[in-house]
Amino acid sequence: MDVVLEARQLAKAYGVGRDALQVLGGISFSVGKGEFVSIVGPSGCGKTTLLFALAGLQKASTGTVTFNGRPVTAPPRGVAVVFQDYSRSLFPWKSNRDNVAFGMVRVEGLSSVQKRDKAQEMLEAVGLQGFEDKYPWQLSGGMQQRVAIARGLASQSELLLLDEPLAAVDAQTRADMQDLLLDLAMRFKQTCILVTHDVEEAVYMADRVVVLTRRPTVVDHEIAINLGKQRDQITTREDHRFLAARHDVMMSIRSSRTAAPATAA
Amino acid sequence: MGAFRFMEILAWFRAIISFLIIIVIWQSIALLGLVPEKYFPSILAIAAGFRDMVISGELVSAELRTLSRALLGVASASLLGISLAVLGDLFPSFRRGFAPIAALIQPVPPAALVPMAVFMLGLGPKLYAFIVILVTVWPPYFNGVAALASVSDVQIRTGQMLGLSRWQILRQIKLPAAMPEIFAGIRYASSISLIAVVVAEMLAGHDGLGFLLIRKAFAIRIPEVYALMFVCAVNGLIMNTAVNGLRWRFAGWQLRMAGQAA
Amino acid sequence: MSILPDRQRYSALVLPVVLLLVWQVLAWRASTPLFPGPGQVAISIWRLYPQIVGQIGYTLMRAAAGFLVAAVVMIPLGILLGRLKTVGSVLEPILDMMATLPPPAVVPIVMLFAGTGDAAKIAVIAYAAGIPLIMNTYEASKTLHPMATLVARSLRLRRLETMVFIDLPASLPMIATGVRLAVASALLVSVTAEMLLATNGIGVFLQRQQENFQIANGLAAIAFISMIGLIVNDLVQRLERRLLFWHYRLDLHNER
Ligand SMILES: Nc1ncnc2c1ncn2[C@@H]1O[C@H](COP(=O)(O)OP(=O)(O)O)[C@@H](O)[C@H]1O
Ligand SMILES: [Mg+2]
Repeated sequence: MDVVLEARQLAKAYGVGRDALQVLGGISFSVGKGEFVSIVGPSGCGKTTLLFALAGLQKASTGTVTFNGRPVTAPPRGVAVVFQDYSRSLFPWKSNRDNVAFGMVRVEGLSSVQKRDKAQEMLEAVGLQGFEDKYPWQLSGGMQQRVAIARGLASQSELLLLDEPLAAVDAQTRADMQDLLLDLAMRFKQTCILVTHDVEEAVYMADRVVVLTRRPTVVDHEIAINLGKQRDQITTREDHRFLAARHDVMMSIRSSRTAAPATAA
Repeated sequence: MGAFRFMEILAWFRAIISFLIIIVIWQSIALLGLVPEKYFPSILAIAAGFRDMVISGELVSAELRTLSRALLGVASASLLGISLAVLGDLFPSFRRGFAPIAALIQPVPPAALVPMAVFMLGLGPKLYAFIVILVTVWPPYFNGVAALASVSDVQIRTGQMLGLSRWQILRQIKLPAAMPEIFAGIRYASSISLIAVVVAEMLAGHDGLGFLLIRKAFAIRIPEVYALMFVCAVNGLIMNTAVNGLRWRFAGWQLRMAGQAA
Repeated sequence: MSILPDRQRYSALVLPVVLLLVWQVLAWRASTPLFPGPGQVAISIWRLYPQIVGQIGYTLMRAAAGFLVAAVVMIPLGILLGRLKTVGSVLEPILDMMATLPPPAVVPIVMLFAGTGDAAKIAVIAYAAGIPLIMNTYEASKTLHPMATLVARSLRLRRLETMVFIDLPASLPMIATGVRLAVASALLVSVTAEMLLATNGIGVFLQRQQENFQIANGLAAIAFISMIGLIVNDLVQRLERRLLFWHYRLDLHNER
């Protein structure tokens, strides 16, 4: 399998001297083409920090990220991000369609009409037909997140980075959105990295789960999830392989919690 | 009190730095002779002009007049504005009746009022009281009306459950809650008050900093003009400091809350 | 006003009408041309409106020119300074300092530099309108939520594109506040400057009326100024509501 993204020994500290906070402690993993990889770790362990380093939005202190073999220093062409703070990531002065089309500002070779059509298509793909001319602030949180996802998909990036996209929506919406995301990833053969603190979600969505430790965060281990691409909220979650993987991830998170020295949270 | 002290010190520190930067830039332009010396005197010449005006006594008397007019004007305008806002809150029909009057008077720039006002009120304190109050009541009034109307229902209900009268609710719940916004209005009012006084003095042509500015300009005493502009800016700082001090006294809870959140 | 029920609409008229009546009665009792009543002012308006409108035209034209110059220079500059943090923080106290200087106080010095022509007046007006514009734009651009920058970078926008497509619209609500202050300031300085540098304009008209003891005519001119001010404010407000619908509705929607 072609490697799309590779992180090598990523470390990151915020601040300097005695106040320095070592967040990432040397993270290495890679993601292949067409893969759906979940990265799971407790809140505050540095998931957003890691994702920003992968996206080229923030430099790591040491270590490298390569995307298609090239080192990432600034946001590369072909990587899209869906931010955790999705409502702020949408522009209130743009209609939903314009917000999605704006995801393609730097995509060359498309006329503005084509971008508009593409935006329309993506909004329909996330189930928002009829809301194209509305504004993000006229939508509920879950619907805003759909707009943000549509924007991420619209640029037809090779790699989609999702930062806890479903952390702030209610349980029922979350289940629906999980299936929507899986469906879209399959339909567009989209390579995805999903960052989450929710173990069940990580396992349910992914082909492979990367389990993080507590700060200073490193990769605890990786588990392949051999459940096929088709998932189902009821049967998948009852599948013994799902339960086994869930057990495994939870155990390692628990042991990293007790093993870690007691630091002020 | 700590937060206020700190902010105050910081503000003064920045003011001093900016002052130094201005002096350095100014002096280098003057020394390099980029602009004719006549129009762009050195800091020393300006300081000398300042000293001359202090010695002759004209600066001190003009400054005292201007500053006291602006301060007294904005103080009475604020009290009047708050009273009108309270009245408007108690009697909505007053507020509605007052709205068109406010809408008509508010946009008139103070300069336009001066000629007629001089005619009717003379050149004494009545003139300045009239002009300053007429142009500065509006920010405290409008902010007060808006803030009193938007005090949270829960807070008012809490007062009602405690058995407070309408007046007590106004006095103890609504007014304190509205104070931060009223002070934002007073702050703006204080800056237009100074503008209004200087303009009126310029046009009335009798006394005060505005008059002195014009007189020195017509006499082509350029260092003195710059010195007077500097005094005007310092007056702006004095007004700001005075308002901030009062704001701390009457709406300090909000500053402390904001400080904590940040 | 039109959405008020009829009874309330009438009650809104009571106070102004009573005040006008009191004024008229006092004027009758004084019965001197030095204290005209609303009746005489109305007659003056009727007689003089072509002249007043013409003079206000001069005043407004200069105010508009000065305002436009200020907007074209100061809004982009404010956004740029907000982006260039170090330059911004060095210049910020200087801006603060300039903001404390009452804008009419620069009229004499500009007069010495640039004479008394239209260019000098427009320069002073532009200065006066420019201060609130740059202060508000800079503040808005400086305090933009970092998320906006992150999104811009992840969409790989260029610096200029970020400023035009993101910083500018996101700063518009505060720029609008600056615009309201700048409009008032431009009008004030326009009137002040023409009075000091007497040529034409409504300020000069007012002075003439004062010199000739024509109080009713002066009040007529003030009434016109206030109407114009009302109209300008209303236009600004409408424009603001139109351009910033997303801002105002955002506040309604997100009030949790
Ligand atoms: N810009 C920053 N400066 C200092 N500390 C930060 C910064 N961003 C994040 N942190 C800290 O780094 C840790 C990890 O943050 P983050 O990556 O957002 O975690 P997560 O996304 O896993 O919740 C947290 O303790 C947070 O307080
Ligand atoms: Mg996070």
